[in-house]
Amino acid sequence: MFRPLHLTPYLRSSLLNPRPIPTPRLFSLSALSLANKALPPRLKIEDADLTIAYLKGTGPGGQKINKTNSAVQLIHKPTGVVVKCQATRSRSQNEKYARQLLADKVEQLLHGDQSRAAIKLDRARKKKASKMKKSRRKYRDAEDGKEGSQAEEDDVDEVDDLSENGDRLTKEQSPRQSPDRQQGHASDGAQG
Amino acid sequence: MPRIPTRVILDAYRHDRLLPLLLRECRSINSAKNELRWLRERAVSIAHSKSTNRAATLLKSMCRARSRGVPLQYILSDQPFGELDILCKRGVLIPRADTETFTSHAASLISRDILKIGRPRDETPTAPLRIIDLCTGTGCISLLLHALLAPRVQQMSIVGVDISATAINLARRNLIHNVQRGSLSDRAMTDITFRPENVLQDVSRSSVAMESQQLNVVISNPPYISTESFTDGTTTRSVRIPEDIFYYHILSLSFNLKAGLVVLECGDRLQGRRVAALCNTLAQKYSRMDGLHVTVWPPANQGLDGSPPEDIEPCIVILHRTGSN
Repeated sequence: MFRPLHLTPYLRSSLLNPRPIPTPRLFSLSALSLANKALPPRLKIEDADLTIAYLKGTGPGGQKINKTNSAVQLIHKPTGVVVKCQATRSRSQNEKYARQLLADKVEQLLHGDQSRAAIKLDRARKKKASKMKKSRRKYRDAEDGKEGSQAEEDDVDEVDDLSENGDRLTKEQSPRQSPDRQQGHASDGAQG
Repeated sequence: MPRIPTRVILDAYRHDRLLPLLLRECRSINSAKNELRWLRERAVSIAHSKSTNRAATLLKSMCRARSRGVPLQYILSDQPFGELDILCKRGVLIPRADTETFTSHAASLISRDILKIGRPRDETPTAPLRIIDLCTGTGCISLLLHALLAPRVQQMSIVGVDISATAINLARRNLIHNVQRGSLSDRAMTDITFRPENVLQDVSRSSVAMESQQLNVVISNPPYISTESFTDGTTTRSVRIPEDIFYYHILSLSFNLKAGLVVLECGDRLQGRRVAALCNTLAQKYSRMDGLHVTVWPPANQGLDGSPPEDIEPCIVILHRTGSN
Protein backbone atom coordinates (compact mmCIF):
# COMPACT_ATOMS: atom_id res chain seq x y z
CA MET A 1 0.00 0.00 0.00
CA PHE A 2 2.74 2.42 0.92
CA ARG A 3 5.18 1.35 -1.73
CA PRO A 4 4.11 3.83 -4.42
CA LEU A 5 4.16 6.56 -1.80
CA HIS A 6 7.63 5.49 -0.82
CA LEU A 7 8.87 5.77 -4.41
CA THR A 8 7.40 9.17 -5.18
CA PRO A 9 10.36 11.31 -4.04
CA TYR A 10 12.70 9.32 -6.29
CA LEU A 11 10.36 9.39 -9.23
CA ARG A 12 9.68 13.07 -9.00
CA SER A 13 13.32 14.07 -8.55
CA SER A 14 14.42 11.89 -11.46
CA LEU A 15 11.73 13.33 -13.67
CA LEU A 16 12.51 16.92 -12.81
CA ASN A 17 16.28 16.68 -12.76
CA PRO A 18 17.89 14.75 -15.58
CA ARG A 19 21.04 14.12 -13.55
CA PRO A 20 20.78 11.34 -11.00
CA ILE A 21 20.90 12.25 -7.34
CA PRO A 22 23.33 10.09 -5.45
CA THR A 23 22.06 10.63 -1.92
CA PRO A 24 18.43 10.20 -0.98
CA ARG A 25 16.57 12.80 1.04
CA LEU A 26 17.28 11.80 4.56
CA PHE A 27 14.62 13.89 6.23
CA SER A 28 11.79 12.75 4.01
CA LEU A 29 12.81 9.16 4.40
CA SER A 30 12.53 9.37 8.13
CA ALA A 31 9.04 10.74 7.83
CA LEU A 32 8.11 7.99 5.39
CA SER A 33 9.52 5.23 7.52
CA LEU A 34 7.15 6.37 10.22
CA ALA A 35 4.24 5.85 7.86
CA ASN A 36 5.72 2.60 6.60
CA LYS A 37 5.73 0.93 9.94
CA ALA A 38 2.79 -1.44 9.96
CA LEU A 39 -0.14 -0.50 12.11
CA PRO A 40 -1.14 -2.97 14.76
CA PRO A 41 -3.74 -5.39 13.37
CA ARG A 42 -7.38 -4.49 13.73
CA LEU A 43 -9.10 -6.05 16.71
CA LYS A 44 -11.09 -9.17 15.85
CA ILE A 45 -14.58 -9.03 17.29
CA GLU A 46 -16.40 -12.29 17.89
CA ASP A 47 -19.87 -12.65 16.40
CA ALA A 48 -21.13 -13.93 19.74
CA ASP A 49 -20.33 -10.56 21.35
CA LEU A 50 -22.33 -8.63 18.79
CA THR A 51 -25.93 -7.59 18.49
CA ILE A 52 -26.74 -6.69 14.91
CA ALA A 53 -29.82 -4.61 14.27
CA TYR A 54 -31.10 -3.57 10.88
CA LEU A 55 -32.80 -0.28 11.50
CA LYS A 56 -36.04 -0.09 9.62
CA GLY A 57 -37.73 2.88 11.14
CA THR A 58 -41.36 2.70 12.09
CA GLY A 59 -44.46 1.73 10.18
CA PRO A 60 -45.32 -1.10 7.85
CA GLY A 61 -42.53 -2.98 6.10
CA GLY A 62 -42.23 -5.67 3.49
CA GLN A 63 -43.40 -5.10 -0.03
CA LYS A 64 -45.91 -2.56 1.21
CA ILE A 65 -43.43 0.24 1.28
CA ASN A 66 -40.33 0.96 -0.72
CA LYS A 67 -37.72 1.63 1.92
CA THR A 68 -34.25 2.73 1.07
CA ASN A 69 -33.00 2.54 4.62
CA SER A 70 -30.08 0.16 4.82
CA ALA A 71 -28.70 1.29 8.17
CA VAL A 72 -26.93 -1.24 10.34
CA GLN A 73 -26.40 -0.85 14.06
CA LEU A 74 -23.90 -2.95 15.95
CA ILE A 75 -23.73 -3.24 19.71
CA HIS A 76 -20.68 -4.75 21.35
CA LYS A 77 -22.20 -6.48 24.34
CA PRO A 78 -19.16 -6.69 26.69
CA THR A 79 -18.33 -2.98 26.43
CA GLY A 80 -21.67 -1.53 25.38
CA VAL A 81 -20.17 0.37 22.44
CA VAL A 82 -22.79 1.23 19.81
CA VAL A 83 -21.97 1.95 16.17
CA LYS A 84 -24.35 2.88 13.36
CA CYS A 85 -23.56 2.94 9.66
CA GLN A 86 -25.66 4.20 6.76
CA ALA A 87 -22.86 5.02 4.33
CA THR A 88 -23.99 2.94 1.35
CA ARG A 89 -27.23 1.54 -0.03
CA SER A 90 -26.00 -1.99 0.56
CA ARG A 91 -26.80 -3.53 3.91
CA SER A 92 -23.93 -5.99 3.76
CA GLN A 93 -21.48 -3.22 2.87
CA ASN A 94 -22.77 -1.11 5.75
CA GLU A 95 -22.31 -4.04 8.07
CA LYS A 96 -18.69 -4.39 6.98
CA TYR A 97 -17.98 -0.69 7.61
CA ALA A 98 -19.80 -0.83 10.93
CA ARG A 99 -17.64 -3.77 12.03
CA GLN A 100 -14.48 -1.83 11.21
CA LEU A 101 -15.73 1.22 13.07
CA LEU A 102 -16.72 -0.88 16.05
CA ALA A 103 -13.36 -2.66 16.15
CA ASP A 104 -11.59 0.71 16.19
CA LYS A 105 -13.83 2.09 18.90
CA VAL A 106 -13.58 -0.95 21.14
CA GLU A 107 -9.83 -1.07 20.72
CA GLN A 108 -9.51 2.58 21.63
CA LEU A 109 -11.56 1.91 24.74
CA LEU A 110 -9.37 -1.04 25.71
CA HIS A 111 -5.90 0.13 24.75
CA GLY A 112 -6.21 3.91 24.73
CA ASP A 113 -3.09 5.50 23.23
CA GLN A 114 -1.72 2.17 22.05
CA SER A 115 -4.75 1.46 19.85
CA ARG A 116 -4.71 1.40 16.07
CA ALA A 117 -6.95 4.43 15.69
CA ALA A 118 -4.92 6.47 18.17
CA ILE A 119 -1.64 5.57 16.45
CA LYS A 120 -3.09 6.50 13.08
CA LEU A 121 -4.29 9.84 14.41
CA ASP A 122 -0.97 10.47 16.09
CA ARG A 123 0.93 9.82 12.87
CA ALA A 124 -1.31 12.13 10.90
CA ARG A 125 -0.79 14.82 13.52
CA LYS A 126 3.00 14.39 13.48
CA LYS A 127 3.08 14.48 9.70
CA LYS A 128 1.08 17.68 9.66
CA ALA A 129 3.25 19.23 12.35
CA SER A 130 6.44 18.44 10.45
CA LYS A 131 4.92 19.82 7.26
CA MET A 132 3.98 23.02 9.02
CA LYS A 133 7.40 23.26 10.54
CA LYS A 134 9.05 22.82 7.17
CA SER A 135 6.92 25.43 5.46
CA ARG A 136 7.50 27.85 8.31
CA ARG A 137 11.24 27.31 8.08
CA LYS A 138 11.14 27.83 4.34
CA TYR A 139 9.35 31.14 4.52
CA ARG A 140 11.51 32.28 7.39
CA ASP A 141 14.60 31.54 5.33
CA ALA A 142 13.12 33.36 2.36
CA GLU A 143 12.27 36.38 4.41
CA ASP A 144 15.54 36.29 6.28
CA GLY A 145 17.04 39.69 6.95
CA LYS A 146 14.19 41.54 5.32
CA GLU A 147 10.90 41.69 7.07
CA GLY A 148 11.56 39.33 9.96
CA SER A 149 8.48 37.50 11.05
CA GLN A 150 6.25 39.17 8.45
CA ALA A 151 6.03 35.99 6.36
CA GLU A 152 4.61 33.98 9.17
CA GLU A 153 1.81 36.44 9.68
CA ASP A 154 1.21 36.78 5.97
CA ASP A 155 -2.06 34.88 5.91
CA VAL A 156 -3.39 36.62 8.95
CA ASP A 157 -2.69 40.00 7.41
CA GLU A 158 -4.57 39.27 4.22
CA VAL A 159 -7.66 38.10 5.98
CA ASP A 160 -7.89 40.10 9.15
CA ASP A 161 -6.08 43.38 8.76
CA LEU A 162 -8.59 45.48 6.91
CA SER A 163 -7.06 48.80 7.80
CA GLU A 164 -5.73 50.82 4.87
CA ASN A 165 -2.30 50.65 6.26
CA GLY A 166 -2.21 46.91 6.32
CA ASP A 167 -3.76 46.63 2.88
CA ARG A 168 -1.19 48.87 1.32
CA LEU A 169 1.56 47.00 3.05
CA THR A 170 0.56 43.64 1.63
CA LYS A 171 -0.01 45.08 -1.84
CA GLU A 172 3.37 46.72 -1.86
CA GLN A 173 4.98 43.62 -0.61
CA SER A 174 3.51 41.08 -2.93
CA PRO A 175 5.61 41.76 -6.05
CA ARG A 176 8.72 41.97 -3.95
CA GLN A 177 7.89 38.79 -2.17
CA SER A 178 7.22 36.48 -5.06
CA PRO A 179 10.74 36.14 -6.49
CA ASP A 180 11.99 35.48 -3.01
CA ARG A 181 9.48 32.71 -2.60
CA GLN A 182 10.46 31.14 -5.87
CA GLN A 183 14.07 31.29 -4.86
CA GLY A 184 13.10 29.60 -1.68
CA HIS A 185 11.44 26.78 -3.60
CA ALA A 186 14.38 26.30 -5.89
CA SER A 187 16.94 26.28 -3.12
CA ASP A 188 14.87 23.82 -1.21
CA GLY A 189 14.66 21.49 -4.17
CA ALA A 190 18.37 21.62 -4.83
CA GLN A 191 19.24 21.04 -1.27
CA GLY A 192 17.13 17.99 -1.09
CA MET B 1 -50.11 10.73 5.61
CA PRO B 2 -49.19 13.39 8.21
CA ARG B 3 -48.22 16.80 6.93
CA ILE B 4 -44.54 17.74 7.13
CA PRO B 5 -44.10 20.75 9.44
CA THR B 6 -43.04 23.94 7.64
CA ARG B 7 -40.14 24.22 10.03
CA VAL B 8 -38.73 20.89 8.85
CA ILE B 9 -39.11 21.95 5.22
CA LEU B 10 -37.29 25.22 5.94
CA ASP B 11 -34.51 23.38 7.73
CA ALA B 12 -34.20 21.06 4.77
CA TYR B 13 -34.08 24.00 2.35
CA ARG B 14 -31.37 25.65 4.40
CA HIS B 15 -29.32 22.47 4.24
CA ASP B 16 -29.75 21.96 0.51
CA ARG B 17 -32.15 23.51 -1.96
CA LEU B 18 -33.06 20.11 -3.40
CA LEU B 19 -33.79 18.49 -0.06
CA PRO B 20 -37.46 19.59 0.27
CA LEU B 21 -38.18 17.77 -2.99
CA LEU B 22 -36.90 14.50 -1.56
CA LEU B 23 -38.66 15.16 1.73
CA ARG B 24 -41.99 14.71 -0.02
CA GLU B 25 -41.32 11.02 -0.49
CA CYS B 26 -38.80 10.27 2.28
CA ARG B 27 -40.80 11.97 5.06
CA SER B 28 -37.76 12.30 7.33
CA ILE B 29 -34.85 14.64 6.97
CA ASN B 30 -32.21 11.99 7.64
CA SER B 31 -33.37 9.60 4.97
CA ALA B 32 -33.78 12.54 2.58
CA LYS B 33 -30.17 13.53 3.22
CA ASN B 34 -29.00 9.97 2.57
CA GLU B 35 -30.93 9.75 -0.67
CA LEU B 36 -29.63 13.12 -1.81
CA ARG B 37 -26.09 11.94 -1.15
CA TRP B 38 -26.60 8.76 -3.18
CA LEU B 39 -28.29 10.66 -6.01
CA ARG B 40 -25.49 13.23 -6.08
CA GLU B 41 -22.81 10.53 -6.14
CA ARG B 42 -24.53 8.94 -9.12
CA ALA B 43 -25.10 12.23 -10.95
CA VAL B 44 -21.44 13.16 -10.57
CA SER B 45 -20.28 9.73 -11.74
CA ILE B 46 -22.53 9.88 -14.81
CA ALA B 47 -21.48 13.43 -15.70
CA HIS B 48 -17.81 12.52 -15.06
CA SER B 49 -17.17 15.76 -13.22
CA LYS B 50 -18.38 17.75 -10.29
CA SER B 51 -18.25 21.24 -11.67
CA THR B 52 -20.25 20.99 -14.86
CA ASN B 53 -23.83 22.07 -15.13
CA ARG B 54 -24.63 18.67 -16.49
CA ALA B 55 -24.34 16.97 -13.12
CA ALA B 56 -26.45 19.68 -11.49
CA THR B 57 -29.19 19.41 -14.13
CA LEU B 58 -29.16 15.66 -13.88
CA LEU B 59 -29.39 15.78 -10.11
CA LYS B 60 -32.28 18.20 -10.25
CA SER B 61 -34.26 16.01 -12.64
CA MET B 62 -33.51 12.94 -10.48
CA CYS B 63 -34.82 14.75 -7.39
CA ARG B 64 -37.94 15.86 -9.28
CA ALA B 65 -38.65 12.25 -10.29
CA ARG B 66 -38.15 11.15 -6.70
CA SER B 67 -40.58 13.79 -5.45
CA ARG B 68 -43.21 12.38 -7.80
CA GLY B 69 -42.88 9.02 -6.04
CA VAL B 70 -40.56 7.20 -8.44
CA PRO B 71 -38.57 4.71 -6.34
CA LEU B 72 -34.93 5.60 -5.80
CA GLN B 73 -33.88 2.23 -7.23
CA TYR B 74 -35.66 2.94 -10.51
CA ILE B 75 -33.95 6.33 -10.77
CA LEU B 76 -30.53 4.88 -10.05
CA SER B 77 -31.53 1.71 -11.96
CA ASP B 78 -29.80 -0.65 -9.56
CA GLN B 79 -29.88 -1.95 -6.01
CA PRO B 80 -27.19 -3.79 -4.04
CA PHE B 81 -28.34 -7.23 -2.93
CA GLY B 82 -25.81 -9.05 -0.80
CA GLU B 83 -22.58 -8.89 -2.77
CA LEU B 84 -24.53 -8.62 -6.02
CA ASP B 85 -25.66 -5.59 -7.93
CA ILE B 86 -29.22 -6.03 -9.17
CA LEU B 87 -30.47 -3.89 -12.04
CA CYS B 88 -33.97 -2.52 -11.51
CA LYS B 89 -36.51 -1.39 -14.01
CA ARG B 90 -40.01 -0.04 -13.97
CA GLY B 91 -42.51 -2.89 -14.03
CA VAL B 92 -40.46 -5.28 -11.91
CA LEU B 93 -40.50 -5.19 -8.10
CA ILE B 94 -37.31 -4.04 -6.40
CA PRO B 95 -35.38 -6.49 -4.19
CA ARG B 96 -35.43 -5.56 -0.51
CA ALA B 97 -32.91 -6.02 2.28
CA ASP B 98 -35.30 -8.36 4.13
CA THR B 99 -35.26 -10.75 1.20
CA GLU B 100 -31.47 -10.61 1.32
CA THR B 101 -31.55 -11.82 4.94
CA PHE B 102 -34.11 -14.52 4.13
CA THR B 103 -32.13 -15.74 1.13
CA SER B 104 -28.94 -16.14 3.15
CA HIS B 105 -30.93 -18.01 5.81
CA ALA B 106 -32.33 -20.28 3.09
CA ALA B 107 -28.81 -20.87 1.78
CA SER B 108 -27.63 -21.92 5.23
CA LEU B 109 -30.64 -24.25 5.56
CA ILE B 110 -29.88 -25.80 2.18
CA SER B 111 -26.26 -26.43 3.04
CA ARG B 112 -27.20 -27.85 6.44
CA ASP B 113 -30.15 -30.06 5.57
CA ILE B 114 -29.86 -30.99 1.93
CA LEU B 115 -26.16 -30.89 1.24
CA LYS B 116 -25.44 -32.04 4.79
CA ILE B 117 -22.26 -30.02 4.90
CA GLY B 118 -20.26 -30.54 8.05
CA ARG B 119 -21.57 -34.05 8.53
CA PRO B 120 -19.07 -36.84 8.11
CA ARG B 121 -21.19 -39.55 6.47
CA ASP B 122 -21.48 -38.18 2.96
CA GLU B 123 -18.91 -35.59 1.98
CA THR B 124 -19.95 -34.91 -1.56
CA PRO B 125 -23.61 -35.11 -2.53
CA THR B 126 -23.84 -37.10 -5.72
CA ALA B 127 -27.18 -35.86 -7.05
CA PRO B 128 -27.22 -32.34 -8.45
CA LEU B 129 -29.00 -29.73 -6.37
CA ARG B 130 -32.17 -28.51 -8.04
CA ILE B 131 -33.79 -25.26 -6.97
CA ILE B 132 -36.84 -23.54 -8.40
CA ASP B 133 -37.50 -19.87 -7.66
CA LEU B 134 -41.11 -18.91 -8.36
CA CYS B 135 -42.02 -15.29 -9.05
CA THR B 136 -38.37 -14.45 -9.45
CA GLY B 137 -38.80 -10.82 -10.61
CA THR B 138 -35.31 -9.36 -10.95
CA GLY B 139 -33.88 -12.84 -10.36
CA CYS B 140 -32.24 -11.66 -7.15
CA ILE B 141 -32.97 -14.77 -5.05
CA SER B 142 -31.72 -17.18 -7.72
CA LEU B 143 -28.55 -15.19 -8.26
CA LEU B 144 -27.77 -14.72 -4.56
CA LEU B 145 -28.40 -18.42 -3.83
CA HIS B 146 -25.97 -19.32 -6.59
CA ALA B 147 -23.39 -16.88 -5.26
CA LEU B 148 -23.70 -18.33 -1.76
CA LEU B 149 -23.87 -22.02 -2.68
CA ALA B 150 -21.53 -22.27 -5.69
CA PRO B 151 -18.34 -22.65 -3.59
CA ARG B 152 -19.84 -25.70 -1.81
CA VAL B 153 -21.85 -27.45 -4.50
CA GLN B 154 -20.43 -29.32 -7.47
CA GLN B 155 -23.57 -29.50 -9.55
CA MET B 156 -26.66 -27.40 -9.30
CA SER B 157 -29.39 -25.95 -11.40
CA ILE B 158 -31.59 -23.04 -10.50
CA VAL B 159 -34.69 -22.20 -12.48
CA GLY B 160 -36.28 -18.79 -12.06
CA VAL B 161 -39.92 -18.50 -13.11
CA ASP B 162 -41.98 -15.38 -13.67
CA ILE B 163 -45.06 -14.59 -15.70
CA SER B 164 -43.74 -11.22 -16.86
CA ALA B 165 -41.55 -11.10 -19.93
CA THR B 166 -40.07 -7.82 -18.68
CA ALA B 167 -39.01 -9.54 -15.47
CA ILE B 168 -37.49 -12.50 -17.29
CA ASN B 169 -35.52 -10.23 -19.59
CA LEU B 170 -34.31 -8.18 -16.64
CA ALA B 171 -33.36 -11.33 -14.71
CA ARG B 172 -31.29 -12.54 -17.68
CA ARG B 173 -29.61 -9.15 -17.91
CA ASN B 174 -28.88 -9.31 -14.19
CA LEU B 175 -27.27 -12.71 -14.59
CA ILE B 176 -24.95 -11.43 -17.32
CA HIS B 177 -24.30 -8.17 -15.47
CA ASN B 178 -23.21 -9.93 -12.28
CA VAL B 179 -21.07 -12.49 -14.08
CA GLN B 180 -19.31 -9.63 -15.88
CA ARG B 181 -18.86 -7.81 -12.58
CA GLY B 182 -17.22 -10.88 -11.12
CA SER B 183 -19.72 -11.29 -8.30
CA LEU B 184 -20.98 -14.55 -9.81
CA SER B 185 -18.79 -17.36 -11.08
CA ASP B 186 -18.81 -18.19 -14.80
CA ARG B 187 -20.71 -21.43 -14.28
CA ALA B 188 -23.74 -19.37 -13.21
CA MET B 189 -24.38 -18.77 -16.92
CA THR B 190 -25.18 -22.48 -17.40
CA ASP B 191 -26.49 -23.23 -13.89
CA ILE B 192 -29.19 -20.57 -13.82
CA THR B 193 -32.05 -20.34 -16.29
CA PHE B 194 -35.02 -18.02 -16.35
CA ARG B 195 -38.25 -18.87 -18.09
CA PRO B 196 -41.66 -17.30 -18.46
CA GLU B 197 -44.40 -19.41 -16.82
CA ASN B 198 -47.66 -18.68 -15.05
CA VAL B 199 -47.50 -19.87 -11.46
CA LEU B 200 -51.27 -19.53 -11.03
CA GLN B 201 -52.01 -21.97 -13.82
CA ASP B 202 -51.16 -25.59 -13.34
CA VAL B 203 -47.39 -25.34 -13.48
CA SER B 204 -46.97 -28.97 -12.45
CA ARG B 205 -48.00 -30.02 -15.94
CA SER B 206 -45.81 -27.46 -17.65
CA SER B 207 -42.26 -27.81 -18.85
CA VAL B 208 -40.63 -26.63 -15.62
CA ALA B 209 -42.17 -29.40 -13.56
CA MET B 210 -41.54 -32.11 -16.13
CA GLU B 211 -37.84 -31.45 -16.10
CA SER B 212 -37.58 -30.98 -12.36
CA GLN B 213 -38.38 -34.45 -11.15
CA GLN B 214 -35.75 -34.51 -8.42
CA LEU B 215 -36.52 -31.07 -7.15
CA ASN B 216 -34.90 -30.21 -3.82
CA VAL B 217 -35.94 -26.68 -3.03
CA VAL B 218 -38.87 -24.43 -3.85
CA ILE B 219 -38.22 -20.83 -2.88
CA SER B 220 -40.51 -17.92 -3.56
CA ASN B 221 -41.09 -14.31 -2.70
CA PRO B 222 -44.45 -13.85 -4.41
CA PRO B 223 -46.23 -10.50 -4.55
CA TYR B 224 -47.96 -10.67 -1.18
CA ILE B 225 -49.95 -7.54 -0.56
CA SER B 226 -53.24 -8.81 0.83
CA THR B 227 -56.52 -7.24 -0.26
CA GLU B 228 -57.12 -5.54 3.07
CA SER B 229 -53.60 -4.07 3.23
CA PHE B 230 -54.17 -2.79 -0.25
CA THR B 231 -57.15 -0.71 0.78
CA ASP B 232 -56.39 0.24 4.39
CA GLY B 233 -53.81 2.87 3.49
CA THR B 234 -50.68 1.10 4.74
CA THR B 235 -49.39 0.47 1.22
CA THR B 236 -47.42 3.10 -0.66
CA ARG B 237 -48.53 4.12 -4.09
CA SER B 238 -45.61 2.62 -5.98
CA VAL B 239 -46.41 -1.02 -5.07
CA ARG B 240 -50.17 -1.29 -5.40
CA ILE B 241 -50.73 -4.76 -6.81
CA PRO B 242 -53.20 -6.80 -4.75
CA GLU B 243 -52.03 -10.42 -4.46
CA ASP B 244 -52.71 -12.96 -1.77
CA ILE B 245 -53.49 -15.96 -3.91
CA PHE B 246 -50.04 -17.22 -4.79
CA TYR B 247 -49.39 -19.31 -1.71
CA TYR B 248 -52.07 -21.92 -2.43
CA HIS B 249 -50.73 -22.53 -5.92
CA ILE B 250 -47.09 -22.56 -4.91
CA LEU B 251 -47.73 -24.98 -2.06
CA SER B 252 -49.76 -27.41 -4.17
CA LEU B 253 -47.01 -27.33 -6.74
CA SER B 254 -44.33 -28.09 -4.14
CA PHE B 255 -46.36 -31.01 -2.75
CA ASN B 256 -46.79 -32.35 -6.27
CA LEU B 257 -43.07 -32.05 -6.93
CA LYS B 258 -42.17 -33.56 -3.53
CA ALA B 259 -39.73 -30.79 -2.69
CA GLY B 260 -37.63 -31.35 0.42
CA LEU B 261 -37.52 -27.70 1.41
CA VAL B 262 -39.96 -24.92 0.66
CA VAL B 263 -39.21 -21.32 1.62
CA LEU B 264 -41.91 -18.67 1.21
CA GLU B 265 -41.66 -15.01 2.11
CA CYS B 266 -44.73 -13.44 3.71
CA GLY B 267 -45.63 -9.82 4.29
CA ASP B 268 -46.31 -10.01 8.02
CA ARG B 269 -46.52 -12.61 10.75
CA LEU B 270 -50.29 -12.82 10.47
CA GLN B 271 -49.96 -13.81 6.84
CA GLY B 272 -47.13 -16.13 7.85
CA ARG B 273 -49.40 -17.98 10.27
CA ARG B 274 -52.11 -18.10 7.61
CA VAL B 275 -49.71 -19.67 5.13
CA ALA B 276 -48.41 -22.13 7.76
CA ALA B 277 -51.98 -23.25 8.44
CA LEU B 278 -52.53 -23.64 4.71
CA CYS B 279 -49.42 -25.86 4.57
CA ASN B 280 -50.86 -28.23 7.13
CA THR B 281 -54.23 -28.38 5.39
CA LEU B 282 -52.64 -29.12 2.03
CA ALA B 283 -50.27 -31.68 3.53
CA GLN B 284 -53.29 -33.61 4.81
CA LYS B 285 -54.96 -33.34 1.44
CA TYR B 286 -51.88 -34.73 -0.31
CA SER B 287 -51.39 -37.14 2.64
CA ARG B 288 -47.77 -36.12 3.00
CA MET B 289 -47.70 -35.38 6.71
CA ASP B 290 -44.80 -37.73 7.45
CA GLY B 291 -41.76 -35.88 8.81
CA LEU B 292 -43.10 -32.49 7.81
CA HIS B 293 -42.10 -29.47 9.85
CA VAL B 294 -43.66 -26.08 9.25
CA THR B 295 -41.92 -23.14 10.92
CA VAL B 296 -42.10 -19.38 10.75
CA TRP B 297 -38.73 -17.63 10.78
CA PRO B 298 -37.51 -15.47 12.50
CA PRO B 299 -38.92 -17.24 15.59
CA ALA B 300 -41.48 -15.39 17.69
CA ASN B 301 -39.19 -15.00 20.70
CA GLN B 302 -36.16 -13.68 18.83
CA GLY B 303 -36.19 -11.39 15.83
CA LEU B 304 -33.32 -10.38 13.57
CA ASP B 305 -32.16 -7.67 15.95
CA GLY B 306 -32.50 -9.68 19.16
CA SER B 307 -35.84 -8.21 20.16
CA PRO B 308 -39.09 -10.07 19.46
CA PRO B 309 -40.27 -9.39 15.90
CA GLU B 310 -43.31 -7.22 15.46
CA ASP B 311 -46.39 -8.51 13.71
CA ILE B 312 -45.98 -6.06 10.85
CA GLU B 313 -42.50 -7.32 9.93
CA PRO B 314 -42.05 -9.70 7.00
CA CYS B 315 -41.15 -13.32 7.75
CA ILE B 316 -40.58 -16.62 5.97
CA VAL B 317 -42.51 -19.85 6.23
CA ILE B 318 -40.26 -22.90 5.98
CA LEU B 319 -41.57 -26.34 5.08
CA HIS B 320 -38.97 -28.87 5.86
CA ARG B 321 -39.26 -32.57 5.37
CA THR B 322 -36.91 -34.82 7.29
CA GLY B 323 -36.02 -38.22 5.99
CA SER B 324 -37.19 -37.79 2.41
CA ASN B 325 -33.96 -36.26 1.18
